[in-house]
Amino acid sequence: MNGMRIQAQQYPKFTGANIWISAEGSGSAFIGFSLLVPEHLPYLDHALPLKPKSASPLVFAQARPVIRGKLGKAIVVGYKSGKLGGPTQFELTEGRLFTASEYEEWAEADIPLREVVVDEKMDLEIGERILIGNKDLKVVGKAKSLMFVLDTPLLFMDLRTAQEVLLKNSLHVNMVIAQTAKGFTPERAAKELEAFDAEFKTIDVRTLEQTLGDIIDTYVDEPMKAVQFLRVMLWLAAGLIVGMITYVTTLEKTQEIGVLKAIGASNFYVAALISKQVILMSVIGVICGLILSYIFAVAAPIFVSIHPIESGIVVLISFVVCCAGGYLAGRKAIAVDPMVAFRGEM
Amino acid sequence: MGSVVEGKGLTKHFGEGDARVVAVDHVDIAIEESELVMFMGDSGCGKTTLISLLGCILTPSEGDVWIDGEQIDYANHDLSQLRSEKIGFVFQLFNLIPYLTAIENVMVAMDIAGLRHDEAEKRAAELLTQVGLDQRLHHRPAQLSGGEKQRVSFARALANHPKIIFADEPTANLDSRQGMNLMNLVRELRHEHRTTIAIVTHHEGLKKDADRVIQMKDGQIVSV
Ligand SMILES: Nc1ncnc2c1ncn2[C@@H]1O[C@H](COP(=O)(O)OP(=O)(O)O)[C@@H](O)[C@H]1O
Ligand SMILES: [Mg+2]
Repeated sequence: MNGMRIQAQQYPKFTGANIWISAEGSGSAFIGFSLLVPEHLPYLDHALPLKPKSASPLVFAQARPVIRGKLGKAIVVGYKSGKLGGPTQFELTEGRLFTASEYEEWAEADIPLREVVVDEKMDLEIGERILIGNKDLKVVGKAKSLMFVLDTPLLFMDLRTAQEVLLKNSLHVNMVIAQTAKGFTPERAAKELEAFDAEFKTIDVRTLEQTLGDIIDTYVDEPMKAVQFLRVMLWLAAGLIVGMITYVTTLEKTQEIGVLKAIGASNFYVAALISKQVILMSVIGVICGLILSYIFAVAAPIFVSIHPIESGIVVLISFVVCCAGGYLAGRKAIAVDPMVAFRGEM
Repeated sequence: MGSVVEGKGLTKHFGEGDARVVAVDHVDIAIEESELVMFMGDSGCGKTTLISLLGCILTPSEGDVWIDGEQIDYANHDLSQLRSEKIGFVFQLFNLIPYLTAIENVMVAMDIAGLRHDEAEKRAAELLTQVGLDQRLHHRPAQLSGGEKQRVSFARALANHPKIIFADEPTANLDSRQGMNLMNLVRELRHEHRTTIAIVTHHEGLKKDADRVIQMKDGQIVSV
């Protein structure tokens, strides 16, 4: 849960952009289908609310690369080197950046080298080749790991390469990201850009905050609703098991409790005895659960990060559930008839 | 009234209608200090029910009980505290707590009465020595013979200086030799420590030591 949240935010935060522009009605390039023609947006380079020349056109699209003959998943990020959206040479852990296409004017004939910078965790070597849509790309560098949701690695390449490989060489992009000019809050900048676009209706402008919210909604919270439901079921099941265990152990103790009462134990004494055992049991259980969850988090097939506050709540809930079980068991114990001491055997 | 325990018009019935059983039927009885009283009678005649009433484990359907001269007010009396302070029990099936050692089993009764741990430990060791188990303090019930278990039971019953000990067929699950040994312990407690004991048993050998043998039939006392 928390791991997905972290991964959902990793890339957008890394870019340093605080203005995210997508096609009108797409609801952000992370969510809907967004295609923009950057030629239509030259004003972005000089728009007052934006830092001059900060606007960076971006291809951001899911792809299914073939790596060593195996189909994998990745997100292709096409950007212009030196602009927002991908690593600079200094941010690579190995190798070099792709060769940038040397063009000022956009032209379909201007086809750059097919080079790609991969995620350092992808276990690929410099010089190796991967296939995307039957086109093979050469790995030239490795970037610091920046996995997207569900451990999806990012493949960085030149904007033109991405267009050629994924968009049939059309000159569209999926979004344009930018930074605000001095004196503009992201909210104000977004508002003014939208106002300017009001009559053309070509773009949606969002702040980083909104974009992160969109991503988390779509990639984490929506799909997690089912998981949330399962979680609640799990808690109920766990609570039920604890309840059953305490119930059964108390039943097993009927004779013992009866004898204790016969020799003078008060209801309070018996209830305290049972509570002590239940609390001990739940403390041990909760500690085991916590340790196991950390161990399993490391071994989990997707990146899982355990949130301390979430674990705290979980611990609290389990404790409350256990105590409720203990309370029921205690009541059961109080109801035991001391006469059993004369009849049964321990 | 010098009696340790007294019952007047004690009646206890179980169930209703056709299933109604009168287990104890208008019994008057008084047990004096340092007395050894033996209860005898066929199975089902109401012996266990009677000593449960006198031992304040059961509430009578009719009649009253006095412990140490004080009449029990069943609505308001804290019976568990009364049992803890004034009454000791020994059960036919021992009923020692299986995961506790002999000394811990005796200490439980003292813990219930609120005695400090170190004092309880000291006194429990003394009591177990008194019943001849000084070599068995740290054995668990499973490691003890039936006779030894019943000795631990007596030590537990003696834990809080009770006014009286009720023992319900303590020898029924022992072989005859262990039964004899246990009866020797009962005699010893009676003669050397002047403990008041009410015992349900078929042990004829104890008859000559008993101050009174109470014969029961169908919930009533038929001869004293
Ligand atoms: N809890 C109970 N419910 C119904 N009947 C009982 C209960 N306890 C005892 N009785 C009945 O009361 C009678 C006396 O029982 P009890 O006092 O155990 O006899 P004894 O100890 O002399 O063998 C028996 O008929 C028994 O079935
Ligand atoms: Mg009986």
